Amino acid sequence: MIAFENLTKIYTVKNVRKVILDDASYRFADRKNVALMGHNGAGKSTMMRMIAGIELPTSGRVRRTEKVSWPMGFARGFNGMMTGVENVRFVSRVYGCHTETILEQVQEFAELGKSLNLPIQTYSSGMKARLAFGLSLAISFECYLIDEITAVGDRRFKKKSEKALKDKIKDARVVMISHSEKTIKDYCDCGVFAYGSKLYHYDDVNELLKDYRKFC
Amino acid sequence: MFYAIWLQIRVIAALTLRETRMTFGTSHSGYFWAVFQPIFSVSFLMTLFYLIGRQSPFGPSLALFFATAVLTLELYNKLSVSLMRAFTSNKSLLSYPMIKEPDTLFARLSLIACTFIVINVVFYGGLIVVGLGQFPANPEKLVFAFLTTCLFGFGIGSINAILYQKNQAWQHIEKIFARPLFFLSGVFYIPSTMPPEAVAVLKWNPILHIVEWTREGFYSNYRSDVLDITYPLGLGATLVIVALFAERITRKQRV
Repeated sequence: MIAFENLTKIYTVKNVRKVILDDASYRFADRKNVALMGHNGAGKSTMMRMIAGIELPTSGRVRRTEKVSWPMGFARGFNGMMTGVENVRFVSRVYGCHTETILEQVQEFAELGKSLNLPIQTYSSGMKARLAFGLSLAISFECYLIDEITAVGDRRFKKKSEKALKDKIKDARVVMISHSEKTIKDYCDCGVFAYGSKLYHYDDVNELLKDYRKFC
Repeated sequence: MFYAIWLQIRVIAALTLRETRMTFGTSHSGYFWAVFQPIFSVSFLMTLFYLIGRQSPFGPSLALFFATAVLTLELYNKLSVSLMRAFTSNKSLLSYPMIKEPDTLFARLSLIACTFIVINVVFYGGLIVVGLGQFPANPEKLVFAFLTTCLFGFGIGSINAILYQKNQAWQHIEKIFARPLFFLSGVFYIPSTMPPEAVAVLKWNPILHIVEWTREGFYSNYRSDVLDITYPLGLGATLVIVALFAERITRKQRV
């Protein structure tokens, strides 16, 4: 279960106050692939970070009983001075997974070869993204958070990662931010629309897309 | 409940391993230096005092007397300084939802405590082997004194971490308090033999009490008039509680 309970999120940067959510309560439908839509700056990514537990709400709470990934493609949690292998081991330990199994899977998927034994700071951003993507697939989350990115890497690797993700979400689900109607239709069963610091639920993705076209 | 405790242990263990890697590098010699660097610096100071012909204020061994204070101080200093940067240098870790800031403090505490157990064993063991020390008369007092140093150092270190993240100038202010500790902690003297005016000031230093406790642990006939174990214990516990509350209350401003 993922749910917002009386959640308010307000940013104040340089005296500019921005209300992302105002006392919103919303339960993301269980085991369904949920689309999260809204105009630019509506706070979709912030909401996703709150779901992931990276960011705290101003008041209210986020209830999370399933194993939720970090936003896919996000590689900020890596330590640049540690090698790829060490980072993978650390993350698997924190999530309580068997380190060597995860390591094997990441090695196979990310195709980084010997680079896995080098410090992450020597990686290109593409390599980092491949590692992060491979790691989040290997850990087997129950819910994958996707912020626009459904695939990483070069053309061939994009195909591979897209397919791997689709395989993965047969047993898991996604909460997805996207502005592409095709991607939303492709992945999602239902949706939520962020508008004016409130959240609106849609059982039908087509209804959501209709309103999205009208308001954004 | 059990799951929560297991998760906590798992996270702190993973963080401790990571801290070990970050502090000592990949090579095993990194850990060697972590253990031997304080040992060498203390030995160097002691050699100096031997050379200028200083007599031990208590017992036959100047080295042992000196070590009871210096090793306690080293542990405290290490904790207060290293915990101070725990939040600022671990920001990226907060992207994993189960890792909360206090975990980074606990990880550093456990790594430093383990390192200092090794340092203490090697150092005192070495002194006993070369005939400059004797086996502690009351080992349990040594253990309690060590744990109290950890408690007090953890409290101060955690408060340092919160203040340092609010304002980095705190590191300079902290130094002002930390510097005089070397002279206020009975490194060169027996506090009980000091004039009452001096004792009236010195007894406010919790480290001095812990040093006295350590000495009572080592010497069978060391009687301290200053030592009050409730003071460092009570102050340490209070600081830890205050620090953890303050951390929780200010967490939202930090992220």
